[in-house]
Amino acid sequence: MKSDIVVLGGGPAGLAAAYGASKQGASVTLIERNYRLGGILNQCIHNGFGLHYFGEEYTGPEYAQKWIEKLSECSVNIMLNSLVDKIEKISDKHLRVWFKNEKGLDSIDCKAMVLSMGCRERPAGAINLCGTRPAGVFSAGEAQKLVNIHGKMVGKKIVILGSGDVGLIMARRMTCEGAEVLGVYEVMPNCGGLARNVAQCLNDFNIPLYLSTSIVRVEGKKRVTGVWVAPVKPDFSFEMDKQKYIECDTVLLSVGLIPENDLVADFGLEMSKVTGSAVVNEFYQTSMPELFICGNVMHVNDLVDNVSNEGVLAGASAGRFVKKGLPENQKIEIIHDSRIRYTVPTYVYKNDEPEIMLLFRVDKEYRKIMLIIKSGGEEIQKIPRPVVRAGEMEIVKIAKAKIKGDLSIEMVELESGKKMIK
Amino acid sequence: MEAREYDLAIIGGGIVGCSLFSEAVLKGVKAVLLEADNDVSVLATKANSGIIHSGYDPMPDSKMARFNVRGNQIYPALCKRLNVDFMACGSLTVAPKEGREKLQMLLERGKKNGVPNLRIVEKAELFAMEPNLADGIEVGLFAPSAGVVSPFNVCIALAEEGVINGGTLLTNFAVDKIEKIKSESGESKIQSEDKKIQSGDNKIQAEINKSGGNKNQDKYIIQSGDKQVVAKYVVNCAGANANEVNALVGIKPYPMNFVKGEYILSDKTLVNFINHPIFPLPSEITKGIIVNVTTFGNILFGPTAIECDKDDTSVDINGINYIKEKVALSVKNANFKKTIKLFAGVRVKSGKDFVVERDTKNNHFYYALGICSPGLTAAPAIAEYFIEMLEQDGIQTKKITAKNRPAYINTQAMDKNSLNELIKKNPAYGRIICRCEEISEGEIIDALNSPLHPYTIDAIKRRVRPTMGRCQGSFCIPKLIKIFAEQRKIKQEQVTIDGKTSELLVSNIKEGGFYEK
Repeated sequence: MKSDIVVLGGGPAGLAAAYGASKQGASVTLIERNYRLGGILNQCIHNGFGLHYFGEEYTGPEYAQKWIEKLSECSVNIMLNSLVDKIEKISDKHLRVWFKNEKGLDSIDCKAMVLSMGCRERPAGAINLCGTRPAGVFSAGEAQKLVNIHGKMVGKKIVILGSGDVGLIMARRMTCEGAEVLGVYEVMPNCGGLARNVAQCLNDFNIPLYLSTSIVRVEGKKRVTGVWVAPVKPDFSFEMDKQKYIECDTVLLSVGLIPENDLVADFGLEMSKVTGSAVVNEFYQTSMPELFICGNVMHVNDLVDNVSNEGVLAGASAGRFVKKGLPENQKIEIIHDSRIRYTVPTYVYKNDEPEIMLLFRVDKEYRKIMLIIKSGGEEIQKIPRPVVRAGEMEIVKIAKAKIKGDLSIEMVELESGKKMIK
Repeated sequence: MEAREYDLAIIGGGIVGCSLFSEAVLKGVKAVLLEADNDVSVLATKANSGIIHSGYDPMPDSKMARFNVRGNQIYPALCKRLNVDFMACGSLTVAPKEGREKLQMLLERGKKNGVPNLRIVEKAELFAMEPNLADGIEVGLFAPSAGVVSPFNVCIALAEEGVINGGTLLTNFAVDKIEKIKSESGESKIQSEDKKIQSGDNKIQAEINKSGGNKNQDKYIIQSGDKQVVAKYVVNCAGANANEVNALVGIKPYPMNFVKGEYILSDKTLVNFINHPIFPLPSEITKGIIVNVTTFGNILFGPTAIECDKDDTSVDINGINYIKEKVALSVKNANFKKTIKLFAGVRVKSGKDFVVERDTKNNHFYYALGICSPGLTAAPAIAEYFIEMLEQDGIQTKKITAKNRPAYINTQAMDKNSLNELIKKNPAYGRIICRCEEISEGEIIDALNSPLHPYTIDAIKRRVRPTMGRCQGSFCIPKLIKIFAEQRKIKQEQVTIDGKTSELLVSNIKEGGFYEK
């Protein structure tokens, strides 16, 4: 089998990437392991999707359906129930993708790939969750699938560890299904999820959020019987004299997402220590030219609308790469304020593209901020922000024409005048 | 209730009990293995380093030394016979230059114990073997005969081999009573000795009388609640519960202490970080924090050694921090961000040596206890020793044509053509359920239908690995629950991680209202 481009994963990023690539006239094959497209959107039955992209609010499955419909206009070869087993680089612009399905093990050759595999949830071991290992400890997304897709309750008295968005959403969901959610515990001093989710999922249901507090140990031999929680000090050790016991039968973990990029672990891609994934240029191209990447496998997004934008761009870039090549000259590394954890992309080129979209996250909440973009020793853009938060993605559009030989982004706290840049 | 009679009853389905079970069955002994839990290999056997030690560590002339070295000899062929992996990687004990003398001492001790091919390795060669050793390391002791196995894979395979060849496994059989029946002179002493049998269970009595050919034979009725079996020979391999089982026939308790070993297990992407189990210099008490490989490609750090209660397998943050600190003395750049699981197992110690005995008061009653490290290595040798004693004591053996214990189908390890042929015959092998370990539905159904009839998610995990990968089951548990329920024809709410009261699901949704009672 052959295809110009293989898109790996049929969630929101992959759907958009296949669409973007196809619009460039490339032949596209999308490989999805589930029996249907949409990925995790299928289990996100709450609303809030699509406001930015479609100007209308949808549920997860509805948002997926909008993209599946868009994709049906294109002639994309969609392979469902197929798990990619291995990717091989044969030569330049020649990759071989091995996959398994009910028909057996087979391969497809392509000129470029878009990685859109999403992410997985960090398991209990990864955060050194101590105590026993009974039934009743679920990751929030796993519980979400059991409740929303399988129609099953996972517990009655629930403690949520971690304030990621899935955890917040599940706090509300479990409450609506009649469970008692005793609280959300967050090891960090700030919430990991969107402010709107704190308001709509916790505050509206009187579910307490405990910051700088975490689970010391889980109790219960066969099923969870309770947890010990304690405040954490700035060095993340526990204030053990303040620990207290909470009786519960279930612990949901919303303690971070890890890019599901193990398939390309052996390629020696240039990686970001912050995102745990490949570093990209403005085309969402990795350090291996045939590999493009988008969505949560690139960096964890807060809004699916952003994921779709990334997907379209990565797909279109892959299409252009295959069809006529990308305008690459003079690579510029973006320098950023140290309170900005990372930027996507990491590199831009000096070229005639109209603009770049710069995505970044800050390390904690700041109020009354001025973002200053500089190039060639000049301020080329100033963007005021009333508030920036660790849990929320910031997006800045920069006109390419203004970019000279370098590009930096500064953040100034207007009240103190504090700025931090390398 | 029907009580079946066996020549040999083995109490405890850990590595010692399963080794003996399989060996006995292959010798044509009519044997039953009694396991208190829902599966074999559930306690100390499942949670240890999986290292087949070479045997330089135990003191010469101890049972530990003898069984360790002999067990090490047995393992490669045993694993081949069982179709399970044996990684013949050897082991390295590493030290800074002050440790040279101690390594030399270990080498001498090893020679005394009969360990083959031990040698001191100098820095250049050492770092060529293991480039990630810590900077201060200067010298090592290489033990080429050491290896690594999956302890639960071996233990399960042994039990399966026993069952395939006609042995009986009874799970959920927690022995709570053992009655001895003397039949010294052939007259029915049973009747006067045990009223319950006389009045209650004619079948047993009939069976006992019928098989009374060997007149000087004691027999034991072994009970678990209302279930019972009868056996002429009993071997207690009950591990942490061995004293309690011994007490049922009046044997005084041995000193016993329980020592917890905590571990950090990493993702497979750390593969090639090291190639051998790497030991620090051992202390009097423990072999220290090992940086270890698993047969599956994970890196395993641990164990700690902490006095604990018998069944305390919880993990404490102090233990985890201790491991991280000690690991840095052996290797550099250990990436604990790749951690996927913390776990702990409990070793049982009784003094400084293993206890492997024929009881002096109860005829044909034997026990093994205090089988701490290197118990996994020693188990086949302990089994061999028990078989010798049993044969000396007149147990009936006969030649059997042994059936081979087949390996589970592993689609990951198959070449393209044979995999495609398999999937053509049964498409379930092409439906991947556990995406991290790439385990197909077919493999999971195979495990459900395997000889020991496992029925918990953990039991399937120990056989074919779903939920053992980097996501630890968050993607496949919902699918596993469905497959379990369909295959076993039970409700999804009845599917458990580890037996009764470890159910994963509570009810259907929209049956709520827990909050407002």
